[in-house]
Amino acid sequence: MPSPRTVADFDHRRFVVGLSRGIAGALLFALPMFLTMEMWELGFYIDRARLCLLLTVNVPLLIVLARRIGFERTSSWREAVRDAAIAYFLGILASTAILVAIGVLRLGQAATEIVGTVALQAVPASIGALLGRSQLGQHQDDKDEEGSPPDTSYAGELFMMAVGALFLGLNVAPTEEMILLSYKMTPWHAIAVILASIALMHGFVYALSFSGGHGLEEGTPGWHAFVRFTVPGYLVAFLVSVYCLWTFHRFDDVDLVEAAITAGVLGFPSGIGAASARLIL
Amino acid sequence: MTTLSNPKSTEKSNPHWIEWLTGLVSIVFILALIGWIGWDALGPRDPAPELSIRILGTIGEGAGYHVRFEIANAAKATAAGVVVRGQILDGDRALETIETTFDYVPMNSTASGGLIFRSDPTGHSLRISAVGYSDP
Repeated sequence: MPSPRTVADFDHRRFVVGLSRGIAGALLFALPMFLTMEMWELGFYIDRARLCLLLTVNVPLLIVLARRIGFERTSSWREAVRDAAIAYFLGILASTAILVAIGVLRLGQAATEIVGTVALQAVPASIGALLGRSQLGQHQDDKDEEGSPPDTSYAGELFMMAVGALFLGLNVAPTEEMILLSYKMTPWHAIAVILASIALMHGFVYALSFSGGHGLEEGTPGWHAFVRFTVPGYLVAFLVSVYCLWTFHRFDDVDLVEAAITAGVLGFPSGIGAASARLIL
Repeated sequence: MTTLSNPKSTEKSNPHWIEWLTGLVSIVFILALIGWIGWDALGPRDPAPELSIRILGTIGEGAGYHVRFEIANAAKATAAGVVVRGQILDGDRALETIETTFDYVPMNSTASGGLIFRSDPTGHSLRISAVGYSDP
């Protein structure tokens, strides 16, 4: 636990910089979605129960994410809840500001349209706000933190993969291209994409030697990592894809095989996102 | 467990059994997914979509007479840009003809929509049919 701060030694500059980084992160992550037509339309017609579920699921997601990386390197769940709340608020703020600035939201629109559109965009924006704090600014300010980061648990690793899958997957999930591609592709294309996604995920983390890449302890066969991390990672990415597509009404009244192919298409960017998360986060 | 010691992380060689179980479950799931899509791929495809329309009901409203319908595609071929034409017929003569377009009617799937007529379809014969589509 950090020593309790008094009002006097509260670092205003650091706090403001933290909030600004949150806004920057929200923009970085969510700007492609702010500029996607389907996302505006979804705000109008998305089933309110699904929107409500998405908004609710986002809360524990943000809290766990804040616990791991956050506005301040959080040391307790209470602080994680606080940071998650700030991130959510910044996400709503950034969404409203951008949507008004680009003319998607205007005075005189029905309140339910405005609320729906802002709420939908606030989800990726709030995740971006949390990531922004940790990924945009960690290296200069946080030198005072001593020691190396703690071990990442297996569940933590899978969780970060889910966040990475959301990161890339959410950007493309609402677009019409996802369903159009599944209509253009034959099932054989879909199988090839699924296999290629898994191979690329493994390559990203273990073979290409990016900084942040993972290695294996001496004497461990390569397939161990494949079975323990890459394949579950793909499953996580696939399930995240399914959830996104269902939320965005892409599975309504659709044949199950067709739905699986669509999820396989989205599983490709989601899988790359999941693998990248292991390198970056 | 993963030991994070930047810049390179190392996977431990003595993992917990839950990691193997997760891996195993994932492999089974992915193989099932591939097998299922592959099994579907081996089955026959249809050369063209098979579109049929079912009228759900008519609602009289301020602007006109709102006819809701459901369009189903029974074939294993997706139709894009499906044009649906609705006609109110008095014998052979069309009293009113209106159209609407569906972006997609996927294979083995349904979509629904509505046509809004100016004249009351009751007492006349109402014909709603798909008149064209493109391959996606």
